Amino acid sequence: MSALGHYLEEEGIATVAIVLIRPQAENTKPPRALWVPFELGRPFGPPNDPAFQKRVVLATLGMLNEGGGPVRIVDFPEDDPRAQPDPAWQPPFVPRTVANGDAESLASRMEAEILLLQGAHRRWMEQHGRSTVGLSGLVIGDCARYVSDWLRGKAPPSPRDGFSAPLILRFAVDDLKAYGLEAAGAGPAKPSSRQLTDWFWNETATGAAIHALREVLQAHEDERLRLIVSNFIVPAARVRAG
Amino acid sequence: MTRLTDLPPDQARRLAEVECPEFKTRPWVTGPALSQRRVAIVSSAGLVVRGEEPFRGRDPHYHAIPATTRPEDLLCSHISINFDRTGLQEDWNVAFPIDRLRELAADGTIGSMADTHYSFMGATDPLQMEPHARELAGRLKQDNVDSVLLAPV
Repeated sequence: MSALGHYLEEEGIATVAIVLIRPQAENTKPPRALWVPFELGRPFGPPNDPAFQKRVVLATLGMLNEGGGPVRIVDFPEDDPRAQPDPAWQPPFVPRTVANGDAESLASRMEAEILLLQGAHRRWMEQHGRSTVGLSGLVIGDCARYVSDWLRGKAPPSPRDGFSAPLILRFAVDDLKAYGLEAAGAGPAKPSSRQLTDWFWNETATGAAIHALREVLQAHEDERLRLIVSNFIVPAARVRAG
Repeated sequence: MTRLTDLPPDQARRLAEVECPEFKTRPWVTGPALSQRRVAIVSSAGLVVRGEEPFRGRDPHYHAIPATTRPEDLLCSHISINFDRTGLQEDWNVAFPIDRLRELAADGTIGSMADTHYSFMGATDPLQMEPHARELAGRLKQDNVDSVLLAPV
């Protein structure tokens, strides 16, 4: 991000960057940057808090007319209030998952769970008017079936022209995660990302199936598939030891 | 929050030690008052408009995001899965603050908002992005943009 600022400034366009990793900005030395103490993925702070977001945007853009540079890094003083858990949040009901179930059982339970979450996801859509499901280009039931087939030991061909099977597997997993997390966020509570992802990775069949998929395919002969399942389906902080 | 002390130690070390290019120049472009500036967002979140091909791996090019794009049509195809997506799922302004810029343009705080915004995929080697970034500068000038808000993820 800071490098992009450097190139654009050299071409005559003024830039100001948000930075989330302060040491990276200190190393790259952008012309102007505002460091924010928020979670990765939320550079402008909490969702659906326009007043807070506007303070971040104004603090950032305000640096365009301040002196003191080049290389000026300012710290934003406020923390993200949505980083705190909401005790009123309740996850949607899903049957309790045995994390170490066999692959066939996990695949079946994931497919059933996606059906079970339809109601909660519909409420999410009514509430927010949007979904970020869609990278794979498959409907969500087909995402579940495609991932299940891999988990069952099949090697299903890519259902989408121009996309390799490993790539569509990655996007199908992205879509399943988005679907489950959106379903979990439906309702009036304001859960933290930690609450939502703890539920997804520790309590759902879909989370357990993605963990299992990573383990099963790490020994696959296709190097690209091994790379994708090792690094791009389970977040590093959620990878189970062993 | 992204104080490095709050992250798993391995991830914190990787992020802090990520290799950054060393630049020989220190550019510093000044300009008119904020109320006279035309502002575009350039994101590194791997954002794409629904229906376009997502970023694959570490593609070095950028995608255009017209200001007329609807919230339901913005997707995040960043290769990294080690950042929160639940905020962006709930509200695109968390990483793409177009509604806030539109409000600031409407109340005169900034001069105007660009007709088109852009996204790269931030895990790409910056040196590979360089020619695309320099070409983007020309596009921004055609839209009379003089200021860019760089939004990471």
